Amino acid sequence: MTSERESSVPLLEVEDLRVWFPIKRGILRKTIGYVRAVDGVALTISAGKTLALVGESGCGKTTVGRAILRLLEPTEGVVRFQGQNLLELDPPRLRAARRNIQMVFQDPMTSLDPRMRVRDIVAEGMESFGIGANDSERTERVAAVLRRVKLDPEHLWRFPHEFSGGQRQRIGIARALAVEPKLLICDEAVSALDVSIQAQILNLLGDLQSELGLSYLFITHDLSVVRYLAESVSVMYLGQIVEHAATEALFSDPQHPYTQGLLAAVPSIDPAHRSIRAGVLGDVPSPAHPPSGCRFHTRCPKVFDRCPREAPPLFELGGRSSRCFLNETT
Amino acid sequence: MALLEVRELTTSFPSERGRVPVVDGVSFEIRAGEVLALVGESGSGKSVSAFSVMRLVPKPGHVDRGKVVFGGRDLLTLSVPEMRAVRGHSISMIFQEPMTCLNPVLRVGDQVVEAIQLHEPVSRAAARARTLELFKKVGIPDPQERLDAYPHQLSGGLKQRVMIAMALSAQPKLLIADEPTTALDVTIQAQILELLRELQRDFGSAILLITHDLGVVNELADRIAVMYAGAIAEQGTREEVLGAPSHPYTQGLLRAMPALVKRGERLNEIPGVVPRPSDWPKGCHFCTRCPRAFEPCPDITPSETVLSPTHSVYCHAVARDLKGSPS
Repeated sequence: MTSERESSVPLLEVEDLRVWFPIKRGILRKTIGYVRAVDGVALTISAGKTLALVGESGCGKTTVGRAILRLLEPTEGVVRFQGQNLLELDPPRLRAARRNIQMVFQDPMTSLDPRMRVRDIVAEGMESFGIGANDSERTERVAAVLRRVKLDPEHLWRFPHEFSGGQRQRIGIARALAVEPKLLICDEAVSALDVSIQAQILNLLGDLQSELGLSYLFITHDLSVVRYLAESVSVMYLGQIVEHAATEALFSDPQHPYTQGLLAAVPSIDPAHRSIRAGVLGDVPSPAHPPSGCRFHTRCPKVFDRCPREAPPLFELGGRSSRCFLNETT
Repeated sequence: MALLEVRELTTSFPSERGRVPVVDGVSFEIRAGEVLALVGESGSGKSVSAFSVMRLVPKPGHVDRGKVVFGGRDLLTLSVPEMRAVRGHSISMIFQEPMTCLNPVLRVGDQVVEAIQLHEPVSRAAARARTLELFKKVGIPDPQERLDAYPHQLSGGLKQRVMIAMALSAQPKLLIADEPTTALDVTIQAQILELLRELQRDFGSAILLITHDLGVVNELADRIAVMYAGAIAEQGTREEVLGAPSHPYTQGLLRAMPALVKRGERLNEIPGVVPRPSDWPKGCHFCTRCPRAFEPCPDITPSETVLSPTHSVYCHAVARDLKGSPS
């Protein structure tokens, strides 16, 4: 009965999210400046859909994921989940809300406690959210979740080190699924895996989405994974979103020079095309001292006199947006 | 004539069940000036193969058998000082993580100067001038200032450029590049791949490229050898291996890549995982995961099936296809 309303309200809306880390110096630990790791990010995820947040190291994409869950306290902004601003919740209500949003990390070896058995790793969240009447019922549920991620429930009592990398990532996914979330934040969840294993995990994530109606915020640097998996893409550079578009539109007709450079830099595996071009110049500047004006202007092949002087806003381009003066609509 | 010829190379490590080969009878060759990619997933033995060529296999690993012929000499039979002269002089190596090879307490310029003086009797001033030239050549911005920088003051991409400058200082005939761009962001990776392409053209060095990334392979390699579980599965030109793969493993790997599959379609899964070296089948190492495995595969090591003068594959099923078809 609420399904109609739910489909019109986005599952997650992030507005003007800022995460600034203070830079402290001296014996009095005086704050002398801020690293603007995330500086005014907005994004929207609908139920059952996948949004990819892409960018290179240091762009702030991981910080966005953590700030949504308040694993890092945002400096400013709104994180509205099913209409409720998570940043205004007191600790007990925040804990309850977190049941709906779970995280899958890149390296399952460091995110799984090596001294805990699989059963306890997966059941831990259930216990803290009061899911399952008792231990034996929770064990039943753990076995069911393991089956769902295509792990043998016989392995319930094993330790993480007894599994391969791909299986450990399945355990990480099972742990997230155990509390029946609506949104999974996958932070480079397949980046450490070999291609053949990555395919297994991507297929699993696809299956889970269609079976359970999950939404994904997929944080990654891997553009081929993005194209395969996401409905829409936000590209981040130095703490800001520089372009947002539906996946096909972004890949076939990128607007922002950074997106264009990023796509041109992806190696092709078509032997008829050797296609990479190093269009983006130099290195990423430090987020503690972002360039003036457009933050990308120091590396941009299309830079002109206005770029260092003025910071471009996100220009709306009919269902997509780009933070570049070349896309200015009047 | 081949610049480097590797024959039946076998390198083992000890395990609870005695010594176990992790590189098991690998043969390949590199001609002067060409780029050969040794490509495979983790545990394929690609890096151990490269370290075996350099005689840098970490203990307790050991090269048991085989030949590594370079410039008419078998490197495996050289004395330690002779081998040291080969390393850095005729063959240089760059690694995935440049930080592990740069000394954190020495200025990067001095480290390259030292490498030059180790192999050539030149003055410090001359070596420093040459280092500056190399820094310019590998595209380090503000090269004069960067000579006096410490490694931690440089970004990952710049450190990799310093490593490449150091590797090129002796104008080696062969450069072994072990995952040279894996730790780098994609825009920086593109810069380094372009640099390696230019340098190969300008210096004429051959490159043995070790990587798991088929995209990087396609962008840089002339020929490709695909490794799986310590053995070569297939080798051929870039066009042959990526355009018309023959081994079931190569085929499976390419179909598992999200870049080649449309959204919503399932990716090909290669079932299971790479077995540990102690669990490798006696015959074809891929047979436990192969969709085309049949009777001989678990017990008999497949021999080379030649598909073209440049393309060969180690697979019983492909050999049977060829025998069965009248040609």
